[in-house]
Amino acid sequence: MAHDLSIAVVCSSNQNRSMEAHSFLSKKGFNVQSFGTGNQVKLPGPALDKPNIYDFGTSYDAMYRDLMQKDYELYTQNGILHMLDRNRRIKSNPERFQSSNAKFDLIITCEERVYDQVLEDFESKEQNNEQAVHIINIDIQDNHEEATIGAFMICELVTMLCVSEDLDNEVDEILQRFESKVNRPVLHTIQFY
Amino acid sequence: NKDVDLEKASDPATSTYDVVVELLNNAAVMTKGADKIVNLKKAQELIVHKSSDLLDNFLDEMLAFQSDQSKDVKRFIVGFMEEACKKDFECLPKVMPSMVMLLGDDDINVQKKVILTVSSMFRLTLAWISKAKQTRSEMKEVWMHLNEVKNLMYDLLESANDGIRTHAVKFLEGLTMTLSKKTQDSEIPKKNEEDFSIEQLPESNGIVDVSALEEEGRKAFSTMLQFQSSPHISSINLMTVMNSLANIAKQRPEFFDQVVQSFEALHVNLPPTLAKSQVSSVRKNLKTQMMGLLKHPASVEFLPQISTLLTDLGASQSEIAKNSPKETESRKRKTFK
Repeated sequence: MAHDLSIAVVCSSNQNRSMEAHSFLSKKGFNVQSFGTGNQVKLPGPALDKPNIYDFGTSYDAMYRDLMQKDYELYTQNGILHMLDRNRRIKSNPERFQSSNAKFDLIITCEERVYDQVLEDFESKEQNNEQAVHIINIDIQDNHEEATIGAFMICELVTMLCVSEDLDNEVDEILQRFESKVNRPVLHTIQFY
Repeated sequence: NKDVDLEKASDPATSTYDVVVELLNNAAVMTKGADKIVNLKKAQELIVHKSSDLLDNFLDEMLAFQSDQSKDVKRFIVGFMEEACKKDFECLPKVMPSMVMLLGDDDINVQKKVILTVSSMFRLTLAWISKAKQTRSEMKEVWMHLNEVKNLMYDLLESANDGIRTHAVKFLEGLTMTLSKKTQDSEIPKKNEEDFSIEQLPESNGIVDVSALEEEGRKAFSTMLQFQSSPHISSINLMTVMNSLANIAKQRPEFFDQVVQSFEALHVNLPPTLAKSQVSSVRKNLKTQMMGLLKHPASVEFLPQISTLLTDLGASQSEIAKNSPKETESRKRKTFK
């Protein structure tokens, strides 16, 4: 099986958690794409109640330039520019999960709400019974440090899953091993495309 | 240069026929599965969609790739079989024996792909039989093959392999849908609107007996109910069968009450073998499926049971009200504003 599983990592805005994991996994040679499930892309702004909001179609580069011009100091200090710079080297813009028609073997979500939204999307999409997909949630807080730790965990899990010769048969067992190792609860289900 | 072949095909100077020959010849000598699939996909596009008059000419050549070494090529060919039969029912007699063979393939992923495709073959074969002016011996043969496969599927539900069981459940879901009648309150996803089910089958067709088929459909359904209540079911099997039962309830409301009851029973009696986080996943799944059932007009008769269950699963009253069948609800809301 090795690295031929096709993997999606999904968070809310496709900026921090999913992109950190995307970056990490693709460096390790996995076949990975990343997405967000939110209606729009939200980045921290000058105050908690003043986030910067963009459409999913806006490129990371455009966001970078926009924020650089708005407040270079602030967005350098809180790491947002650094993150956007990393992101624009990986792909041009954030992608919304619900708008994608791509099919995966494995979808990893970074938050229970995102997991719910992914499942909702499967409910509303037409199923054709062509292939199975495993959907797994690991809770990761939305900050830079946790995203880094999260990417490590996701990579570890994906590595364990990719080694399996028969994922559908072994996934339960692998997840339980993983869970006790990282000591975080994991949600898991299966859907069909 | 990847699309050169397709361009060639639209150039009147070279015939599509020649292009397909070239694609298949090249595929035959390629070593990598992925490269072969690129060629076979193009060939499929040409003979199934662009010039389907060529389908018959090349069917055997395409099917020959079922004995390829690559499991991905084999899986692709299973997909091709379905596409070909969808396009032309007359492919069924040639395809079915290959399908039976691939079901016995060494590779588990090839087997699974076949399992997911068989229920579609059932649909196509019944549609074929229903449209025929007179029954032919090939039809009987295909039908016999299918029944052989169907019996194997029931056995697979007890396979030692978790994934095989999961896929066998999906087969039974498809079988139940095909072998039960659509009714006015069936909520059919757009894509499946055209799907054949037995209300379209003429009573007299010389091969199949509609009421016996309906009985078979009920058997498939009750097998799934039993499977759901087996005490040591794995969490993945359990969620798959729950989702399948919920799909059936929405598309065939004659089964609605039994599905609701089975979910109630499950809720108070979850398999003891589930780990803690599996219990969370299953309960979450149960909540999602119950919400889905609640939205269906047939839920009106079961509102008390469904709301109680949903409340137990942590749904709020407003969430329940929001998802209840519309008419009464929307009126209330308007007067509020």
